[in-house]
Amino acid sequence: MSAAAGERVAITGLGAVSSAGLGADAFTRTIREGRSTTSPVRGFDARAFPHRYAGEVHDYRPRDWLDRINPDTWGRSSQFAASASRMAVQDAGLADDALARARAGSIMGTTSGESAVTERLVDEWHSGGLESLTPRSVDALPAGRIAAAVNTELRLDGEALTIATACSASNYALGYAYDLVAAGEADYMLAGGADSVNRWAHAGFYRLGALAEEVCRPFDVDRTGILTAEGGVALLLEPYERAVSRGARIYAEVLGYSVNCDAEHMVHPETSSIAACMRAAHRNAQVTPEQIDYICAHGTGTPTNDATEVAAVRQVFGSQPPPISSIKSMIGHTMGAASGFGALACCKALYEGFLPPTANLAQVDPALGPGVDPVPGRAREAKPRVVENHGFAFGGNNAITILGRPA
Amino acid sequence: MTTATTPETRERPLDGTVPTVAPLALTAAAAVTPAGLGLGALGAALDGNGPEANRATGEIDGEALPPRPTRAVPDLDFAELLGRKGLRNLDRTTRLALVACRLAVDAYPGRLGHDTGTVWGTTAGSVRSSSEYSRRTLTADPPYLVNPSLFPNTVMNCAAGQVAIRHQLHGVNATLAGGPLAGVQAVRYARNAVRQVQVERLLVGGVEELSAQGCWGWHRSGGLRPHAAVGEGAAVLVLEQEERARREGRPLLARVLAAEVGFAARGRLVPSLAAVVTRALRRSGLSAAEVTTVSFGATQRRGLDRAEERAVRRVLADREPERAVRVNTVVGECSAATGALQLAALLADWRRAGAAAGEVALVPALSADGSVGCLVVQASEGLSQVGDPQTGAASAAERSR
Repeated sequence: MSAAAGERVAITGLGAVSSAGLGADAFTRTIREGRSTTSPVRGFDARAFPHRYAGEVHDYRPRDWLDRINPDTWGRSSQFAASASRMAVQDAGLADDALARARAGSIMGTTSGESAVTERLVDEWHSGGLESLTPRSVDALPAGRIAAAVNTELRLDGEALTIATACSASNYALGYAYDLVAAGEADYMLAGGADSVNRWAHAGFYRLGALAEEVCRPFDVDRTGILTAEGGVALLLEPYERAVSRGARIYAEVLGYSVNCDAEHMVHPETSSIAACMRAAHRNAQVTPEQIDYICAHGTGTPTNDATEVAAVRQVFGSQPPPISSIKSMIGHTMGAASGFGALACCKALYEGFLPPTANLAQVDPALGPGVDPVPGRAREAKPRVVENHGFAFGGNNAITILGRPA
Repeated sequence: MTTATTPETRERPLDGTVPTVAPLALTAAAAVTPAGLGLGALGAALDGNGPEANRATGEIDGEALPPRPTRAVPDLDFAELLGRKGLRNLDRTTRLALVACRLAVDAYPGRLGHDTGTVWGTTAGSVRSSSEYSRRTLTADPPYLVNPSLFPNTVMNCAAGQVAIRHQLHGVNATLAGGPLAGVQAVRYARNAVRQVQVERLLVGGVEELSAQGCWGWHRSGGLRPHAAVGEGAAVLVLEQEERARREGRPLLARVLAAEVGFAARGRLVPSLAAVVTRALRRSGLSAAEVTTVSFGATQRRGLDRAEERAVRRVLADREPERAVRVNTVVGECSAATGALQLAALLADWRRAGAAAGEVALVPALSADGSVGCLVVQASEGLSQVGDPQTGAASAAERSR
């Protein structure tokens, strides 16, 4: 438990809107099978792009999931976040009214906010000039709408905060929500994140040389980069003791977290800073490296990220690091939601007893050194007790959460 | 959509039993506004000695502006203020943030160590940067011929990342997309980071740039009163643990006693904001009668301005505060920079008015989406010393005029 934290904190509900399925159970089945769910882009005209694959959510109809968020006036990322949050509340066996009466709120992470709305506005600008921007699109643009959508959908009157620390944002959100619940500032908090596939990020990552052609292969000798992806994820946090007393299913306990900043470069990760973040997370969670049974990697599948991440892991764990896998091999890089999906996979891994796999792995890159176990192929049956979830980002924003099996 | 079990939720704590929280010390402040660099320029403008709004006759980057006043930060020599190195690819949002940080660091009576973090408020990052980047994928042939060096500008944490690089801030680095709530949220986030001993101190800022995209967005949305100006600016506050600041001899400009937030159901903004203000006062251990100053944030926002005034009046039981600060009348509508600018303007106003240590201000915030919040701030003895730094960036700016 962290230095100044008070109560223990449990995760009791999970929700997911992703290419790997709708709901935490469907998502987990896909992950356990090691099935890739990326596909040719449909969200924008990608014909002129050399690389045309992404992890888009195709079978999601917002009206099936949302009572109060009108998809005509709220952006796609907001819809993802609100839907995933509603799923998490149902999964936790909580009555709507009871949650709305409690001191509850949401902390949601994102990289590009309502990027689909941005691109709708850009289309309007392009075709009719800035004077043709539609008020409805303008109103839907602020990224803060993502957490506001969660509070609106679930009628929560507590904090609604959207954290925009790019691709580690969900771990930032989970850490902050944990502090608020532990300190008694809230009875329940939803933590997670959401992002939407967009043309400009697809182009930007391509031009950075970081976009894979069709397949994302983290840790593989032939890895070529990320696949952009989208989705929404939510975890419900509450005080551990109350979760026990209400007979809730407890997936995991939040043991601690850490955030830091490379302060070095906007897009290149930095080994020693990531290692420092891991050590600080261990201290905060009061665990030692030997206790970590599994690492859910940031694992983007770019040559640089995976090499840097493994090097940082070696600095902390030595020559025999715990199994380290990347779910991005299956769902792509969901940006601000990515470490939230990682946390969800960790919760299921702790609760059901398995290690999430790395798909599409033919040969582990020998340059990563000996002893790297990326759990290739399909999930491995195991009984992890303490796991570590990584999230790194543009801006040098590192965030690491530590989760434990309920005991 | 309900399920079977009903949880045993804790009783909502009665407001009177909500524990107070450790105050944060505010030990430096800086602002970059249409009034110029520093709190002094902002204070003078609040007294009515500021620049007139620019009439929107111009254009930005070849895009005509809407028929609405604007307030731009005067031309700054960014190379002089920030050095040439690494400046070329930075957008205006990040540059304004960096200048505000430079001023704050110059004003801080101590050294920022590695255990310093930064928290920034934003609405949607630089809308100009993201929308221009996206538009390039429509106009370029092939569509992916975008400039990779500009890609980080499209991400909302760009300013925070660049601030960290420039000042070597290795601590928590958060960007909060709260729009008008971002100031309260950032202070609240900073308080948690200090309480959790993640960092010793934080640069807490907000920034928003004036752009054709943003101006048209405001104009088309109808979110502003007809003659309200769209503005830009950045402000940075240094916040740290009070005990440490006192132990190390740094004068306090002010103490932040509370940072409370909530979320209003549709049509409930006024009672929700009033409830949050009341809770913020209770958690400060103060009564409404002790409030002398209100630094408003929603001035000239259609509907929200009156909701803010009504909520405050309700809490103060119809008593007029001795001082009302309305920073938007000087800087224009500054979205996510508003919260930090409300704080900067409060300090500037208090200094010019010679406010006594112990005076109490409310800094409310509310958003059309339903978020509400409020800071409670108390003037400290160091306030009379809150002069803008006479060295470094400020004098460089003087020379650049």
